[in-house]
Amino acid sequence: MQIRRESTFSGVLMLCLVLLLCHAAVASSERGEDREAMVKEQILARGVKDPATLAAMRTVPRHLFVPESMSHQAYQDRPLPIGHGQTISQPFIVAFMTEIIKPGPGRKILEIGTGSGYQAAILAATGAQVYSIEIIPQLADSAAVLLKQLGFTHVATRSADGYYGWQEHAPFDAIIVTAAAEFIPPPLIEQLAESGLMIIPVGSPFFVQTLMLIQKRAGKTISTSLMPVRFVPFKRADEE
Amino acid sequence: MIGQCNRMISLCNRKHLSLALVSAALLAFQIALLQILATSQWHHFAYLVISIALLGFGAAGTLLALTRRWMTARQAQLLPLLLCCCAVTLAGSLTMTQSLFGGFDSFLLFVDIGEVLKLAAVALLLLLPFTCGALTIGLIFTLETERIGSYYFANMFGSGLGCLLGLAGLSLLLPQQLPPCFGFLALAAAVVLLPGSRPVARVVLVVSLALVTIFLVQATELELSQYKDLRRALDLPEATILANQPAAAGQIHIVDAPVLRGAVGVSLNWSGEMPQAPAVFVNGDSIGSLPQASGRDNPRNASTFALPYALGIPRRVLVLDAGTGVDVAMAIDRGAETVVAVEAHKPLVELLRTTAPTSVSRIFNNPGVTWQTLVSRTWLARDQQQYDLIILPKVGGFGGNAGLFALHEQPLLTREALQQAWSKLSPQGLLTVTSWVDYPVRTPLRLLATLVETLQEAGVTTPQDRIAAVRSWGTLTFCIKRTPYSKAELAAIRSFAKRWAFDPALLPDLRPEERQHFNRLQDDSLFQLFDGVLGPERAQLYNNYAFRITPVDDDQPFFSQFLRWSQLNALISLYGQRNLPFIELGMLVAVLAAGVLSLLATLLILLPLTRLPKGSGKHWQVLIYFGGLGVGYMWTELALIHHFVLYLGHPVYATALVVAVLLIGSATGSALTGRFRVCRPWRWTAATSSILLLYVVLLGMLLETTLTLAMPLRTALAVLVLAPAAVIMGMPFPLGLRLLNQAHQAEVPWAWGINSCLSVVGAALATILAVEFGYSLLLLLAATAYLLPTMIRFRVS
Repeated sequence: MQIRRESTFSGVLMLCLVLLLCHAAVASSERGEDREAMVKEQILARGVKDPATLAAMRTVPRHLFVPESMSHQAYQDRPLPIGHGQTISQPFIVAFMTEIIKPGPGRKILEIGTGSGYQAAILAATGAQVYSIEIIPQLADSAAVLLKQLGFTHVATRSADGYYGWQEHAPFDAIIVTAAAEFIPPPLIEQLAESGLMIIPVGSPFFVQTLMLIQKRAGKTISTSLMPVRFVPFKRADEE
Repeated sequence: MIGQCNRMISLCNRKHLSLALVSAALLAFQIALLQILATSQWHHFAYLVISIALLGFGAAGTLLALTRRWMTARQAQLLPLLLCCCAVTLAGSLTMTQSLFGGFDSFLLFVDIGEVLKLAAVALLLLLPFTCGALTIGLIFTLETERIGSYYFANMFGSGLGCLLGLAGLSLLLPQQLPPCFGFLALAAAVVLLPGSRPVARVVLVVSLALVTIFLVQATELELSQYKDLRRALDLPEATILANQPAAAGQIHIVDAPVLRGAVGVSLNWSGEMPQAPAVFVNGDSIGSLPQASGRDNPRNASTFALPYALGIPRRVLVLDAGTGVDVAMAIDRGAETVVAVEAHKPLVELLRTTAPTSVSRIFNNPGVTWQTLVSRTWLARDQQQYDLIILPKVGGFGGNAGLFALHEQPLLTREALQQAWSKLSPQGLLTVTSWVDYPVRTPLRLLATLVETLQEAGVTTPQDRIAAVRSWGTLTFCIKRTPYSKAELAAIRSFAKRWAFDPALLPDLRPEERQHFNRLQDDSLFQLFDGVLGPERAQLYNNYAFRITPVDDDQPFFSQFLRWSQLNALISLYGQRNLPFIELGMLVAVLAAGVLSLLATLLILLPLTRLPKGSGKHWQVLIYFGGLGVGYMWTELALIHHFVLYLGHPVYATALVVAVLLIGSATGSALTGRFRVCRPWRWTAATSSILLLYVVLLGMLLETTLTLAMPLRTALAVLVLAPAAVIMGMPFPLGLRLLNQAHQAEVPWAWGINSCLSVVGAALATILAVEFGYSLLLLLAATAYLLPTMIRFRVS
């Protein structure tokens, strides 16, 4: 009798595990067509070409990183609110920033502002080791749980003040500061590796207007402003 | 018989009192609501919601026009009931709107179309108190049209009082506490009319009293949009509110959290600490941090804001729009002997002086620092001293301002303001202003254009010799100097820039390769545009650039309005329709608001026509007459507020004075019409139009020449100038209603509804007209709006 009970219990446990794995797999594979369309129409069409980035954008289930009520909009060409005054970035911006960083196996990346966890997941999907910090505990916790559920083992998260970076794992090949403020914390610049790249999207919560790139080269720190959308100031009358 | 007469007289007096009370309640509520919504939501949508709610007046007029007989037959029962409904919906407005669908967030309108429904629902809920209150006003007008003069007096007088009450309330209580307080005013209006009503009205009154009291006692906390700066700060771990101060000029919060730091635009080379600093918010929007570190520990020394100090220690410094005092602190730390700090938000200054941490006290206790609490522009115009350094407030915001400031007046950034500032510089003096760099480039371009034209108007033939600018990763600081920069000064600027990894953006001897050494841009367009502004083809650049960058003046002080309508399609094709609003949001929302309101107003005005007797008169005459009055009054009021804010130097005081004088003056004029025969009311519209035309020509000059008078004299002059116009402006409406009542009584509520609708639309259009064409034209258009009824010689058969 006892053996039967134990067998039944183990069987149920196995079944639950299998179901969980299946759910994760199904969830991941769901909306594959939407992701493909997103990559084709919003990302490739705008010039993002890096294969690792495109592969990550095709596989990471963005719809699981947005509130359920907005899941049907997850693959649209727009940022979406995720609560606490934060947003998940527009897919193109995520891909654009990822391509610039050139993540991949062996690369160590720090993210300040985990938010939904989507950017971290994209970076991890390229094989990079990601360290992600979020100041809002609720967002940090939910992102950590989701990343774990989806099997992103290359992402370490913590709820802390991003100002101090993550000294224990420095230096970083790249740092993304999505929780941008009116200054760039000196500890983050210190923790950026030589020739490393820091990227800071700048703009309103709902539209990134420019990307600030910070690089360390030969003891100098250089900033570069990039516009995802190129603006031509005007055409002279004689050019028309 | 005598008893009957006494009862009628008593009822008449009670109706006047009731009318005054409900008018006061509605205007006071409107003022409170403006601050409530501006604090909790994004300001521009707050304005839209309130405008829709004010259409409740128009809705009331329409309803009255459609059900006039039914309502007038039951007026004794309806009046107290409507007032009770007004009181309850007014008192509970905040509770109802915040609990509806879990609240409304105007920022989410950008991403979720469902929020539009919530916006509409909130607007409809807020429409209720205005509609109920307006129904009582309109019903009384309809019943007492023959004595409309005295009733309009009560209405306007009550409104004037309501304006003062609203502003006083904002200064004394938290905004969320005000709706229930003003609900009691509406209840009092109901109590006054209780005698003679049925017992059910008494029951309703008691229930209403209980509800309003509950709303007062359980005053709901203000729920902020999650995207408001204040809410985001409060969401930070261990965030605490150090101060929460009501103020008519904007509710103040000071929030402290371990992760909050004040270090705007600090250099990438700064290796020191960025000290923790509490942040200050006005109406939920951040205005900066409190100054913390002093001396070498102050990271502001490693920002482009410190550029002027690279050229030496200024003895006398003027800080305009001083805000939280960070520039005052830096001036003291850098050795200035005298610092004059000007900040119009008096409660903010007092709060900082009395309750801020001791690290802040140095900006108040230092004997060399004096604070002037008035509008900076007014101080500039009146002050006779000279300064070695004049600091203008930072322009724009981190990440671009997305056109959010497009509708804000920025009187310190006009041609006239900069000319005045220039004239106050000592022989070696410097004027400095810092801007966040935006993309596409707009703010720094317009700043440079304004500086260049200021120098040229001062007789400087080579402005480029006197302009220096330094750019960091995010900010760009301009310094213009009285005398040409010397070689030593240029070397000092270069040294400062190199130390902090900044790039010179403008120097008389700048080499192109110096411009992007530490901070690179994607292309050279910023510098090409700068060169264009400095070059001989500046006018061509103004015409060809995709955004407006021509310097602004006092008549049109909307520095951050860059949108060029002719470029709209090109910008949409580049950025996409969804993203364009984030480039130039403010103006687009204002146009949307005006469009929505016009549509709704048209509907409300047209509906009664389906029920009015056909061939009853020339409806178009009624429309032009009463519509012209509504539009003209609002445009006059807004244009005059603009003029007198600068003249009197205190925005809240000036607004209260102008509105109160106009309303009480109009009330007086209305009361006087009781002595006139009703014929040719258009003579009074002609008189109003004439006075407004005189204002257009003479008011600016008069105010400028008397600006140096002491405040009591300026106030007296303001009243003297405004009162005659106000009295005359109060006459056409009651005279017109009386005339209409004699011939087509059924159209009286419709006429009142037209006036209300077009007042609201007029207010929405006023902003656009002022931004696009200036306040002088707005006043001219107001004169035209009063002229139209004159031209049609309003009469009814």
